Amino acid sequence: MTNELISKWVSLYTEDMFKWALRKTSSAEISEDLVQDTFMAATEKISSFKGDSTPKTWLFSILNNKIVDYYRKKVKQAVSLEDSVLSSVFDKTESWVNKRMPRDWSDDGGHLLDEEDFQKVLKHCLDALPEKWNLCVKLKYLTDKNGQEICQELNLTASNFWQIIHRAKLQLRDCIERNWFNN
Amino acid sequence: MRSIKHFFLISCLKATELIEKKFYFKLSFSERLQLKVHKSMCKACALYGKQSAFIEKGISWQIKKEDLKVDIEALKTRIHQMLESK
Repeated sequence: MTNELISKWVSLYTEDMFKWALRKTSSAEISEDLVQDTFMAATEKISSFKGDSTPKTWLFSILNNKIVDYYRKKVKQAVSLEDSVLSSVFDKTESWVNKRMPRDWSDDGGHLLDEEDFQKVLKHCLDALPEKWNLCVKLKYLTDKNGQEICQELNLTASNFWQIIHRAKLQLRDCIERNWFNN
Repeated sequence: MRSIKHFFLISCLKATELIEKKFYFKLSFSERLQLKVHKSMCKACALYGKQSAFIEKGISWQIKKEDLKVDIEALKTRIHQMLESK
């Protein structure tokens, strides 16, 4: 009986829950896990569901707790703002190191984004970023939030946030140029 | 004279930082001016600005693709199976 009920909820709410988790975590893989965990937890504590709220509200409250847990773990593993990226692309006078200086990508037609191979390189380079940096650069496109709100959500000061973005983008750009344009 | 020069001239590191900040926050008047002056003199940072905007576009594409890629029905099936096997 219980299983039938939960099973019905899986059919009804999985999609909304998944999309919500994806907006919050920016990773499809992690979102799938979180939704699965939520249903596991729901099965275990179904007796505490009294019907005061709708099933959807109840499931989302469990899911939100899972998302918070996920962030908590992540903040603990947070990468510090280490400066190795900066010192590898800029010299002591804060000018570009010659070898790492941006070169012309000459994508005049702007068709580069259509190319599957380019998208692969971009994905490879995004995945190579430290996890928190990866999350920071993606967040703008996952939520409709502005810079200030994103900072609040991540518990970062504004200057800390754009310093992370700065380092992440320097590394991304460098990675793309080396993997794509120099071949 | 020296202080005016100092005000306008920012390093490449600082210029690229402003380029990134601009995607999220409104730059102050003096920041905008500093960035403009720097980019007019530094080809590498001007290129960086273009490429950075291009990468932003690429990231938004990647995310749209990720959204489409996930098979919700398959996920439902997996969860159903997981619950049954408990």
